Amino acid sequence: MLRSPRCCWAGDVRLGIGIFGMQSVPQRPDHHVKLYRDLLEDAELAESLGFDSIWLSEHHFWFDGYCPADLVAAGAVLGRTSRLGVGTAVMLLPMHLADKVGAEAATLSRLGDGRLSLGVALGYREPEFDGFGLRRKDRGKLMDALLPELAGLCAAARPAVPIYVGVATAVAAQRAGRLGLPLFADSTMNPAELREMLAAYDAAREAAGMPAPATHALQRDVYVTGDPERDWSMLFPELRYMRRQYGSWSFPQADGESSAAYRERLEADIEAKLKNLIFGSADEVGAKLHEFEALGFGLIVCRSQFGNLPRADLRRAIEALGTLAG
Amino acid sequence: MRLGVGPLSVTSSAELRALAQAATESSFDCVWVDGPPAVAAMVAQWVPIRVGAVVEVGRHHPLHLAEDIAVADITSAGRLEVMLRPAHDDPDVVKEHLHVLAIALSGAHIQWEGLHLRVPARLADNGRVPQRLALNPRPAQPIVPVWVVDHQSDWAGIADALGFGVAWRWRHGLAFGPTRWRLPRAVLCPNTVEPADLLAAAGDQAGYFIVEASTPGDVRATGRRLAGPLRMPEFPAWLNE
Repeated sequence: MLRSPRCCWAGDVRLGIGIFGMQSVPQRPDHHVKLYRDLLEDAELAESLGFDSIWLSEHHFWFDGYCPADLVAAGAVLGRTSRLGVGTAVMLLPMHLADKVGAEAATLSRLGDGRLSLGVALGYREPEFDGFGLRRKDRGKLMDALLPELAGLCAAARPAVPIYVGVATAVAAQRAGRLGLPLFADSTMNPAELREMLAAYDAAREAAGMPAPATHALQRDVYVTGDPERDWSMLFPELRYMRRQYGSWSFPQADGESSAAYRERLEADIEAKLKNLIFGSADEVGAKLHEFEALGFGLIVCRSQFGNLPRADLRRAIEALGTLAG
Repeated sequence: MRLGVGPLSVTSSAELRALAQAATESSFDCVWVDGPPAVAAMVAQWVPIRVGAVVEVGRHHPLHLAEDIAVADITSAGRLEVMLRPAHDDPDVVKEHLHVLAIALSGAHIQWEGLHLRVPARLADNGRVPQRLALNPRPAQPIVPVWVVDHQSDWAGIADALGFGVAWRWRHGLAFGPTRWRLPRAVLCPNTVEPADLLAAAGDQAGYFIVEASTPGDVRATGRRLAGPLRMPEFPAWLNE
């Protein structure tokens, strides 16, 4: 639950912390045994602060060891904690088989007392699809086939496993709407884009005769600071690195494009994405988050881990954000 | 000799936790679950001993299995063991999956051209994609101990060739042959098995005996009965009386 430090407004949005990609980045190339030990400590901290949940991410075959098996990492976090929810943000479903994911999710839900949630999305990086013998261009068709099957398996699990559909476009929102599954909106959309996407979702859902889900989930890049100058000088290079990496995955250098032109394109994307960052005091961040709650997002997963931040800074940011949780 | 308990069926966390703790307090080297690496990763947070996962091979892409193994090994700080149960009608499919799994876990940069798998696929529709790929992150252990359940004669040869161990189901008269690798033969045993029979089966070789148990009491009694005789030749029987 998100609470106001000043108690001037009441909110019941749930706050999650993330997004843990477990990256051994060049500027801080920790061994993965340490990175996962840190994750488990961060999960314990999040639980003690009253966060609703912690969220893990998935990518494959990347040099920094980006977590390729978020359900396995989720199993470890569920084993270490006792109340905290654990979710995938997001699992790249077209690269998996629904029966395997459904069976493992059901097992983890049973063993984890219903604390597992699945966020699933299309994926986009071609070498990942290629590694598994899949065509990126088939990802929509694969999702259309896999998502209803997985939704059925997750609904039948005891306890049932909530599914959120990761979306960054209206087309993806319509797919989720036809199934009546709640959204997991990408962090890069601004409020106007979110409204547009929710409208597309509702239209598709109503046309399919599906009831409205209880709520939707939203990812936001969030950093709570008590010292903006100090924290921005630490944070900006890390954000820039992370956004460059995602940018290079989303739109690789084109044939014939010069390196200088490509770098310019990446920088423009970084600038655009940074506009959606929420950076400020707990009060400022709380007020911003309530604006998104008002749009219909009952679960907000705050990304405060960008790549592999310095431990002390990340812990301080989680603790500061935690004043809004609980 | 090594002693494991399981594979435990995955029912509730309370039952699984009680069994795993009993194994830890009963001198077992490893607690095995009949489930995916994700469950082993969970159990590894409850106990300090090694954890084993019994999983199918041949049904799902071997790179997913390699990734699951790597992350479970890392989250358990290098305490994972794996037993593979062939699960495809076509033995050639299983063999290819074992090959790709072995290469992936080794940390090599993979380019595999098989009858059933091509890794990376390098599909024309996928544009510019790498010619090779590597498992990232790699497991914490230099070599994750992996055994292949030998339910047909073919598996022992391929497992040996790839550096995997071989696991058998217990039967009277079982006798270990020599192995080229340092992984001991694993044997899945009922908990009625006698230590003298296990030692006779092992002969001059090391053995890894994984014994069934369904309650914490079973686990404790089995550990008490087997651990001493398996670890020390001519273990004095009166110590267990």
